[in-house]
Amino acid sequence: MAKKKPDPFFIGWAKKPPKVLQGFLFLISAVLVGAAVGVALGIGASVPDPGDARFEWGAGYQTFTGYVDAKPYPLLRLPAGEDGRDQPHAMLISGIGKRGMQQLAGPLDGQAVDAGGILLKRGDLDMLQVGGDVSLRAAENPIPNFTPAPAEHLGKWRLSGEICDGKCYTGAMRPGVGLAHKACANLCIIGGIPPVFVTTTPLMGSQFFLLADENGEPLSSEVQDWVALLISLEGEVERRDDLMIFKVNLDSAKQL
Amino acid sequence: MSVKYVPVIWNRTKLAYDAVVLATVGAYLGIYLYVAPQFQTVTMPIDWDIYKAQAFGTCVFFLLTFILCIGPMARLDKRFLPLLYNRRHLGVITCVLAYFHVDNILGWYNAFSPINRYVSVFIVNTSFDRFLGFPFEILGVLALLILTILAVTSHDFWLHFLKPTLWKFLHMGIYLAYALIVAHVALGALQSAAGPFMTTAVGASVALVAALHLLVARKEHLFDTQESPMDDSGTWMDAGDPTEVPDKRARIISITDDERVAIFRNGKKLSAISNVCAHQNGPLGEGKIVYGCVTCPWHGYQYRVEDGRSPPPFTEKISTYRLKLEDGRLWLNIEALPPGTYVEPVVAPILAEGS
Repeated sequence: MAKKKPDPFFIGWAKKPPKVLQGFLFLISAVLVGAAVGVALGIGASVPDPGDARFEWGAGYQTFTGYVDAKPYPLLRLPAGEDGRDQPHAMLISGIGKRGMQQLAGPLDGQAVDAGGILLKRGDLDMLQVGGDVSLRAAENPIPNFTPAPAEHLGKWRLSGEICDGKCYTGAMRPGVGLAHKACANLCIIGGIPPVFVTTTPLMGSQFFLLADENGEPLSSEVQDWVALLISLEGEVERRDDLMIFKVNLDSAKQL
Repeated sequence: MSVKYVPVIWNRTKLAYDAVVLATVGAYLGIYLYVAPQFQTVTMPIDWDIYKAQAFGTCVFFLLTFILCIGPMARLDKRFLPLLYNRRHLGVITCVLAYFHVDNILGWYNAFSPINRYVSVFIVNTSFDRFLGFPFEILGVLALLILTILAVTSHDFWLHFLKPTLWKFLHMGIYLAYALIVAHVALGALQSAAGPFMTTAVGASVALVAALHLLVARKEHLFDTQESPMDDSGTWMDAGDPTEVPDKRARIISITDDERVAIFRNGKKLSAISNVCAHQNGPLGEGKIVYGCVTCPWHGYQYRVEDGRSPPPFTEKISTYRLKLEDGRLWLNIEALPPGTYVEPVVAPILAEGS
């Protein structure tokens, strides 16, 4: 008598799956767990490098004395030596979270100030997140014989790169660039954090430009449409101390 | 099968199924979060909240990919049918993980701002006229909404309340959710936050889902276009040689593009019923006669082969069809009888029990 061919049939509510299926189901289970391990390892291990942007929590609360420029976005103008650099330095400042410093910096524009807070750093770039006891106030002991140098005009340029928010790029978030980060960057810019332009190639040694409109004022909300995209922009470049400022007309923006 | 609603009718298979799913999800998240960072070549690690969001988000994407592969895999190879049995739990777990992804995103990217984090999702990027730069978050929100609706209505209460046709239509929304998530990933994470492995894995996943569905579509199309001769009256269709119907199994006959009949053989008796299970439209013709009843291969719903009714206390019923035997050939009357109509089985003496 011919042996009857097995005809396995799975029924979910049955006590056990058919014996001939048990091995297959065990194999599928093992493949699933194995694939999960492999894919997780592959994706997790190959994430792009977000850079060395960071809060300098380890350095603790720091205070600086210099001058404040309120436009286009609040900047600290520090004399050589004030933050360990041998040249005068223009440092971006922000409030806590996604808040700018316009309200405090505006009335102090052009005046000597004390500023206290936590530093954010990315390579040579830095930003001070202002807060704490000192916050931003008229200087108690202004540095004698220091007046910030006037801006140096470096001509008209068309540059390619990405608009980011100055705080996340400088250290508040890793990664602080790219389309996945666009909503966050826009929230920062809406809150008053300065928009910056990170170029694909350096201009006079710099790839980091504070953005302003053609008149040196803060950019309109139209900038939000261009954030996190690879674009080119045209405008005048000027330098305040070691900080490049790119005064652009957003109508010149072209997506690359 | 159940005659009353309970949150989950647990059985051994479901427990084993969920254990494997949780082990898979646990392995994925555990490796992603705690092992993979040891192998990264980064100056400083990605922010923990962002990294967690990536882990949950990618897990959701691959689970959805797997969910969408189960159906066609089971159509192509019946050994995969057990994966289909408890697919709803897989869907609910996927939805829950999607909320973890969103929670991490909202708690980081959309936090620390004077603007409410939930409101900000809809107002901070309105570049709807762009391809790159399109507010991909909205696509994710829509997908989450669909996943939530599907998870909430996944219980059999909703299946009976909405009726299988509407319920099935609603749950086909999983394809829309997947398309939205693919676009969400392609316009977001893949533009900047993903390494080459993820880009490849996402591309391969989408290609796999598309390829499996195309293969099944081709198979189904070939089946549906097989023409069976009709008799002169136009009501009886040649259903072939009865000896070719395996015992306890069925031959499926396509009457039209959207109507199939399953002709079951139980020993020497032959009966015809609708191929569509009243539960979730499962292919009854791919089922088997177990304990004297046709048993659906998807969830084990059962019907008496003579009248298409589930045995008491169950109340499901499906259409039956008349058969006749002429000159050693089986003929099927293509007019469906009302669900639950008794039809005397055709006895074919030529058939031997168990052959």
